[in-house]
Amino acid sequence: MKLKFFLPLIIFFPVVIIQLTVIPFISIQEVVPDLLLITVVYFSILYGQVFGTVTGASYGLMFDLISGNLIGSSMLSKTVAGFIAGYFSSETRRDKYLYTYSFSLVVLITGLIDALIFSFFSVIDFNTNILQVLFNHALMPSIYTSVISILVIIVPYKRTFLSENR
Amino acid sequence: MFRFLSYVWNRFKEYLILVVLVVVSLTLLTQNNNPQIQKVRVVAFGSFATVTSVFYDLFNITQLKNENKNLRKVNAELMIQLSMLREQGIINRELKGMLGYKDTSSLPITPATIVSRSLSLTQNTITIDVGTKKGIKPGMPVISYKGLVGIIQTCSDGFSIARTLKNVDLKLTVKNEKNRLNAIMKWDGEKLMMVDVPKAYDFDVGDRIVTSEMSSIIPVPIPVGIVSKIDEEQTGLLNLIEINPFEEVLTVEHVFIIMLIENDEKNNLELNFYNKK
Repeated sequence: MKLKFFLPLIIFFPVVIIQLTVIPFISIQEVVPDLLLITVVYFSILYGQVFGTVTGASYGLMFDLISGNLIGSSMLSKTVAGFIAGYFSSETRRDKYLYTYSFSLVVLITGLIDALIFSFFSVIDFNTNILQVLFNHALMPSIYTSVISILVIIVPYKRTFLSENR
Repeated sequence: MFRFLSYVWNRFKEYLILVVLVVVSLTLLTQNNNPQIQKVRVVAFGSFATVTSVFYDLFNITQLKNENKNLRKVNAELMIQLSMLREQGIINRELKGMLGYKDTSSLPITPATIVSRSLSLTQNTITIDVGTKKGIKPGMPVISYKGLVGIIQTCSDGFSIARTLKNVDLKLTVKNEKNRLNAIMKWDGEKLMMVDVPKAYDFDVGDRIVTSEMSSIIPVPIPVGIVSKIDEEQTGLLNLIEINPFEEVLTVEHVFIIMLIENDEKNNLELNFYNKK
């Protein structure tokens, strides 16, 4: 069996531990970055759309089970997010989207879709102002997540830069 | 036929997988109360909470110093309040004795520590380090020294998940402490609101809101918050009332669980009343 099929599972546990224990300390007005989404987007661009979709579904389901969310809500949103992120994956475009600031842009787009779907099952009712929901529940968390996702680009880039200059 | 299926699979496998997974998610969404799914959830979060509790303690040590300082201050304030309440308690007991009332003030509580929290604007939950082994059951209220924090949702042997006040799925009957008027309180994703309050009800900014005895979930008065704003619609007969909760769910670390669940006897009586033809 190839390691790539186990890699998301191995990475899931440290990521979700950080998401549930450390990330609450850096919340701004209860808006937190979604590390699971960043990981799903990364795998989706790296290994393709099918892999991203399945990883998104598995991450969402596992997160729903251990966090107390409505079971299926994160699964649905992360499945679609993984699928959308897969459109940015191809032999020619992979490096462009994975190792440049375009990665943050992809995270922003998928984050918006992920947050919108997730909110749809939680806050939408007859009195809901759709524009307000878009801003508070989708835009703010997506922007925060995409800002944090810059670390994914900077850290490997810096490492490569340092090793090249040694 | 096989060639056709193979062609369809190769051409549309991304979409087929997406559709299957979306259908599975939607099916799971409708099966949230299924006992089998609940069982899987209990096992999953129970085993995972053991790991997160260790990490949470590690990161939390830095905040303990500030918390201790604040607690010392609160302790001093409470000491003053306690001595005043003691005086009032003695008088109250005498008066209750004269009227023949039963004292129902003592409730069993269990202390607990939050080991992880799932922060989301709509489905805020916390995981605490006590479970069925300590007698915790779904439906029990979670409080802090300031007021209500949430309600227990699921329990494993050693851990429990609680829905906090900032969870859209938690709806409670609350009342205005001043004039005993009841209303339904819920989190709308941004604010804690009392919804559909008739305009004729006398609510003012600054009124204390507590849980109502009419609630089948929390039938004892626990402080919830203070009225911060009254959204008066120009048309219509109902108001929306914003509440500022006493306890900030984001910063609370130590909580208590009131070992009390909804009263079956009371519920059965009400059910029988409605069943009567």
